[in-house]
Amino acid sequence: MTSLLRFPGARLVSHAAFVIIIWFLVMRLNDSVDPLANYYIALVAMYATAMFGMVILVGLSGQVSLGNGALMAVGGYVFAVTSLHWQTVPILGVPWNGWWSMVFAAVGGIVVGLLIGGIAARLRGPYLAGLTLGLAVGVPAIANRFPELLGGESGLMLTVPYPEGGYAPVEEEVFVDSSADTLSGDASTMAVPSADAAVSPDDMLTMDNFPTTDASAAVPSVDASVIDPGATDMSGVDLSGTGDLIDASFIIERWQAGLAITVACIAAFIALNLVRGRQGRVWRAVRDDSVAAAVAGISPAKAKVSAFAVSSLFAALAGAVFAQILSYVGPGAFGLGLSLSLLVGVVLGGRSSLLGAVIGGLLLVWLPEFVLSLSEKGGWGDQITNNAPNLIYGLLVVLVVLLAPGGIVGSVQMLIAKVTRRAPKGV
Amino acid sequence: MTSFIDYLIGGVSNGAVIALMAIALVLIWRATRVVNFAQVGQAMFTTFVALTVQTLTGSWALALVVAMVAGAILGVIVQFLVLRPMRRADTSGAIIATFGVLIALQAAVGMIWGGDAQAYPQPFDNAGVVAFGRIWPISVYDFVVIGVTILLVIALSLLFTRTSIGLAMRASAFNPEVARLSGVRVSRVLTFGWALAGVVGAVAGVLVAPSSTVSPTTFDILLVFAFTAAVIGGLDSLVGAVALGVFAGLVISLVSGLSNSGNAPVVALVLLALSLITKPDGVFGHHKARAV
Amino acid sequence: MRYVLPLTDPVLSTRSICVTLSGLRILDDVSIGIPKGTVTGLIGPNGAGKTTVFNVISGFVKPDSGEIRVDGRKLKHIHPHRLTELGIARTLQGVGLFPSLTALENVMLGGSSRVKSGIIAQALAMPWTDTEQADLRERALAIMTELGVESDASRLPGELPYPIQKRVALARALVSDPKILLLDEPAGGISAGDMADLARLIMSWVPKRTVLLVEHHMELVMKVCDLIWVLDAGKVIAAGTPEVVRQDPAVLAAYLGQEGAA
Repeated sequence: MTSLLRFPGARLVSHAAFVIIIWFLVMRLNDSVDPLANYYIALVAMYATAMFGMVILVGLSGQVSLGNGALMAVGGYVFAVTSLHWQTVPILGVPWNGWWSMVFAAVGGIVVGLLIGGIAARLRGPYLAGLTLGLAVGVPAIANRFPELLGGESGLMLTVPYPEGGYAPVEEEVFVDSSADTLSGDASTMAVPSADAAVSPDDMLTMDNFPTTDASAAVPSVDASVIDPGATDMSGVDLSGTGDLIDASFIIERWQAGLAITVACIAAFIALNLVRGRQGRVWRAVRDDSVAAAVAGISPAKAKVSAFAVSSLFAALAGAVFAQILSYVGPGAFGLGLSLSLLVGVVLGGRSSLLGAVIGGLLLVWLPEFVLSLSEKGGWGDQITNNAPNLIYGLLVVLVVLLAPGGIVGSVQMLIAKVTRRAPKGV
Repeated sequence: MTSFIDYLIGGVSNGAVIALMAIALVLIWRATRVVNFAQVGQAMFTTFVALTVQTLTGSWALALVVAMVAGAILGVIVQFLVLRPMRRADTSGAIIATFGVLIALQAAVGMIWGGDAQAYPQPFDNAGVVAFGRIWPISVYDFVVIGVTILLVIALSLLFTRTSIGLAMRASAFNPEVARLSGVRVSRVLTFGWALAGVVGAVAGVLVAPSSTVSPTTFDILLVFAFTAAVIGGLDSLVGAVALGVFAGLVISLVSGLSNSGNAPVVALVLLALSLITKPDGVFGHHKARAV
Repeated sequence: MRYVLPLTDPVLSTRSICVTLSGLRILDDVSIGIPKGTVTGLIGPNGAGKTTVFNVISGFVKPDSGEIRVDGRKLKHIHPHRLTELGIARTLQGVGLFPSLTALENVMLGGSSRVKSGIIAQALAMPWTDTEQADLRERALAIMTELGVESDASRLPGELPYPIQKRVALARALVSDPKILLLDEPAGGISAGDMADLARLIMSWVPKRTVLLVEHHMELVMKVCDLIWVLDAGKVIAAGTPEVVRQDPAVLAAYLGQEGAA
């Protein structure tokens, strides 16, 4: 009820204008910073995209999901597989480019989201959380089942991204570090720089790939993608191809960040339209009281499934962006740690607020950096430094749930409401 | 055919551990209607405590006892600091908070003992037992695991049927209001439930540790298996948790043996999804419809 | 004994409804009819099964046997959320408002069956979705004005006094413009003055709408109802005009029996 303009299309115009302005400003910022900052911007935008979905799913529709990392895996793998194997787009027959893979990732996300949402809509709180926990652990493991197609435990290396903004399927020359062989054949520990754990094959699941620690490793993706020849054989990527050399003025991190920002803004536009319109009220109504919602003529099942589908769409888009930032997809990159960090981000930022998702994304990228800088000053050991961010996240999550369920955004709103003596808008 | 049977036999001790962890989840669910997703974090913490004790003293049994005590204390701490102050209305909050505890505990373990996977010493002979002219895929240690599990299950059932605290626990789980009116100190009973679950989880951790490695996140997969078993059992039923825990162990052992161990999480997911599709409230559970 | 009144034009009727929940017979062969354009009451002591009748009609409880007819047509599968499409709206015991939505937003959601645009149109904020919501908003405000709660439109339910919440809940039921209104204890927890207003309000809806009323306050029931059905222990024990029911020995016995037990 906050919209000031009241003409048909008012929301379309105001939301589009808002998002375009933000897009323009952030793109300007992106062009004016160094590649490391570009990398951080890309991560924040990627997290924000995924967490818009978490706001809708967890905050508005009240379904606590641990599975959105797995849904990101869907997007990432669809992106990787289609971009590795397709020269032309099936059925349409037009030449392939990366945007098509994004589209297919989005479609894949929606389909999987509908499927899971169909099951999830019948489940209550802890059952749903447990099912999605199973997803977070089980879905990345599917990669092991199909090593030829999905690259197994070592994942798939991608030759992303693409010069001149052209986003074409040219295999770029990739810098292959000769020291790669000294690292073990476990590519997941390489492409996603992990904290300090050696992954034993029996470790079916590890949280050391908690992607927030990626940022602490702070190595921009292309340089970080140390490529193991053995792994690339498996993934079937032709790295020996002599594509055009990368233009010297082309900063890959900047390009990736631009992509991530653009995707985040598209997601934000859709999310704004839904959350600040009837659909947002429908989701909150079903969360508050599904019986009363049904009496009012709302199908609770349909509302819950739609929340899952939308959040899955956003997760898949974020996953496709993540794959490009890392130039890699693998089970380790999309594990339970990623799902948990999405939950952390959205809870801390503000469970029911799109702005909270952005703040949560900033927090996920900034805190490990902050801890790192503290540890450099304080001379902490690796063991402390690597685990401090997660310790802080875990404790903060508990504190926020107990003391300020609205997260940062909710608390600020409450404060403003207190000061202006107005009732806070519904959370 | 022999290999099939071998895999089944080999799965029993795995299943026993899953059953224990499932029992821990069920105990807390019955007491406080919360699924404690932090349970494996607590178990991991106590397992590292046990590892430290064992390294210092060399005694496996002492390490187990210390872990059990630590498990009880940790359970009480988590309940006191996190779940008790929780507002009843925020059902999502309780779930999220237990995940917060899980993240924090895993980080704490990483801080204190490091993130690397460490070997847990084998307390007993881990070689296959030789009998009837062949080597069986089950070791003395497996028998210890199974034995301890059986003892614990018997002890728990005696506790619930023969002791006043057990009766109070059942009464509080069934109807807290009535229990309170009949003089049961419900909040104490609930805390006792958390402590008990902590003990059971700690035992599960120490028992499973030698057959894998221990690192902050090694037990995550155990959480999924245990949750699957507990949910299929209805979350309310100790018998269900034990039966389905063992069953899950057998299935996982079969799948891992016949294909590869990386498929086990997928199998757990499929089992979980199938059971939730057919019985959204668990096979042994009964659903109370909301009054309209 | 079975009560079947010679109803000429029941807009809503149940035929031989039986419901068993966890081994207990909640409703036993319940057949009632609600004549068009009347206020019909459904009364009975606690546990008689009144709300269960509502729940069967609105699809929350599936009967073991029996059928529901609306305008003479048999309803097959009743989904609670499709009820408003059939021109039936109900209120819930208590208030059942959504605590995180404003009063106006609550009322607007009552008109969900009028919303035709799907989620894709919503996601892209197509102009017609704005028109739709603006219309709904106007309707909601009009009805809230009718009920005297328009000044509370932007408040959250938790900030409103209980009687006002009850009215907002009524407004939410009315916004779908139902032919049939099922009211579950509309007088619960409100004062005598508000009760008089409520009675006037209910009587003002007929004969345009048909009202089925479950209520404990006999005063209200006797005042507004044209016809009363009496349930006891899952069975219809009496039916008729307020005067008839008031005199019925079976009804007196049912209520006195309950009081004796309590």
